[in-house]
Amino acid sequence: MEQSSTLGVIVVGTGFVADSHLAALRSRADAHLVGVVDVAPERAAATARAQGGVRWSTDLAEALSWPGVAAAIVCTPNDTHSALARQIAGAGCHLLIEKPLATSVADARAAADAFATAGRVLAVAHTHRCYDYARAVRRAITSGEVGRPRLVRLSVLGGWIWPDWRGWMLDGRRSGGHALHNGVHLLDVVTWWIGCPPVSVFARGHKQTSSELDIYDHLEMVVRFEGGAVAVCEMSRGHRPATLAMRDVFVQGTAGLLTLPWDADASLLIDERGPGLLPTVASDGFARQLDAWLAALHGTAPPVDGHDGVLAVALGVAAERSIVAGAPVSVADVLATEPREVPA
Amino acid sequence: MSAPLGVLLAGFAGLGPAQDHQAEMYLPAFADHPGFTIVAVTDADGTTDALRERSRSAAVRLGVPYDDELSKALARPEVDVVSVCVPLTDRMATTTAALATGRHVLVDKPMTLSAQECDAIAAVAADTGSVCLPAHHWRFHPAIRSAAAAVAAGRVGLPWNVQADFLVAGGPPSPLGELANFAVYPLDVIRVLTGLPVTQVFTYGEVDDVAVLSLSHERGMTSTVTVGRGPALDGGPGVALHRYRISGSHGLLAVDTARPAYTLRTATGRRNGWVGSDTVTALVDELHSAIRSGRQGTVAPTDARAAAAVVEAARLSAEFGRPVSLKEADG
Repeated sequence: MEQSSTLGVIVVGTGFVADSHLAALRSRADAHLVGVVDVAPERAAATARAQGGVRWSTDLAEALSWPGVAAAIVCTPNDTHSALARQIAGAGCHLLIEKPLATSVADARAAADAFATAGRVLAVAHTHRCYDYARAVRRAITSGEVGRPRLVRLSVLGGWIWPDWRGWMLDGRRSGGHALHNGVHLLDVVTWWIGCPPVSVFARGHKQTSSELDIYDHLEMVVRFEGGAVAVCEMSRGHRPATLAMRDVFVQGTAGLLTLPWDADASLLIDERGPGLLPTVASDGFARQLDAWLAALHGTAPPVDGHDGVLAVALGVAAERSIVAGAPVSVADVLATEPREVPA
Repeated sequence: MSAPLGVLLAGFAGLGPAQDHQAEMYLPAFADHPGFTIVAVTDADGTTDALRERSRSAAVRLGVPYDDELSKALARPEVDVVSVCVPLTDRMATTTAALATGRHVLVDKPMTLSAQECDAIAAVAADTGSVCLPAHHWRFHPAIRSAAAAVAAGRVGLPWNVQADFLVAGGPPSPLGELANFAVYPLDVIRVLTGLPVTQVFTYGEVDDVAVLSLSHERGMTSTVTVGRGPALDGGPGVALHRYRISGSHGLLAVDTARPAYTLRTATGRRNGWVGSDTVTALVDELHSAIRSGRQGTVAPTDARAAAAVVEAARLSAEFGRPVSLKEADG
């Protein structure tokens, strides 16, 4: 197929997570990478070369004017998301944007509104909805076998902290805090599973890797939903050993109990270092996410739309506020009190 | 070898009239233990006719006398130990009466729902030097015991978080709620695992027999406890999920009390069979060992008090819609 007849995509931000999006894009016959954008020219140039010599720029406006560009994938620091999203909507392009949609509800709304106005597709990369485990749990719930979910536990534990003190993820002003950076994955997925509006969040945070952290690398977030269901979300980058990767799920419904324990999708490997887990091969969540976004350009609903993205931001903001306040925070209050910003 | 200790079974109840922990749990454990012999049955004074009938027929089955007054039963010289399983409202009076006569006591859980009453019971036990064991039997689970030892030995470093689940499948709901009924178990196990007292509680309260407790402990440790009763599941009533994950400065320990067990699958079904030692038997064994060696039990009224204080604070938290410190709840 000629490149000109497939969807032209730019990738904005060429850091860690861009690799996953680029890999997914390379496997597509109906879309192609036109070029990459990054504020760091050496990184933009290096990525462009690695991707077969595509265009690169440090200026999004310039990239949006490249011939054939119809869509963008944004994977920049969180605090830049809303403005970049609005710029992309203004250029009439579709967008797949890394989570969170923004670091405030007002900014998230402004981005979602811009796409609604432009009539372009906005999808937020809450990638967990595209992972095998989350889809399997959702299927068990929608099949009715579990009944109405009443109590959900989702724990995602890791031991690795971001590279060093220069990482923007460690700066709460840039990331929005860990509840917005990684916590939103869990908050979004449990909301998707339970299928009711969230009412309130009670959250607590630990600074486990270092007391000098600005963010909480361990989060315990308890979310109450309309109808009384409760979800316990535990997100960690503060565990030891640093190599730890552990997930735990249960859903207690009115008709059944679903458990997906930490060793549910792994084999036992015993080698010279002792016993360990060998994860089984899983589907590529990024490929599935890209597929769903591209399908949405032809009229299907995106897996996570602007409304979902705004709600996830509100939940993350509620969690961050709850940690500071030491009290539960109403999601409606967060949605109501954040001033609505006029799009730039 | 000394003669077995004489056991008086006081009451065949539980938290609600549908429950009979004496018949289901304590009686079989005492009956099987070579160090005990059941010598009589009684009830709390003022017990309903229906419950008295339950106790009388148990006495007939066991071939032991039934005393319709607690004082008569406690006057029997052959009684060394009282297994208190009277309705919750009578537990305090029955337990203190037994302790006051110098008897050793095993008390169904929750011993009482009031921290103050736990203090009163502890005071009487201290006066007489009797052993008073609240039936926090899950702490004697083989997986919990090895986990407690591993944490105490520093295998995970300094604990900073615990996640706990205690969910029961099916069975009649407790008339006082499952927070009152079950929370004592995971709270007691966390206490055994970490030794860190709870300082503050938040909960949205109990909805559909399920509650989530967000606890703060001394030394900055936090814990989240899910507790309650869910739908009936294949395999009959019983514990559906009972586990702990302890995160420490140097490691992580995940404990599932569904282990050790084997799985048996046949053409018609699947069931798990218990491999480890029974926790109620271990509890009764601890009672025997404490009495025979003249020491206090490793589980004591202070442990019941710790759990009761958290449940009291949880009730206030649900009512106020905010975290409640144990100091505030105590005041």
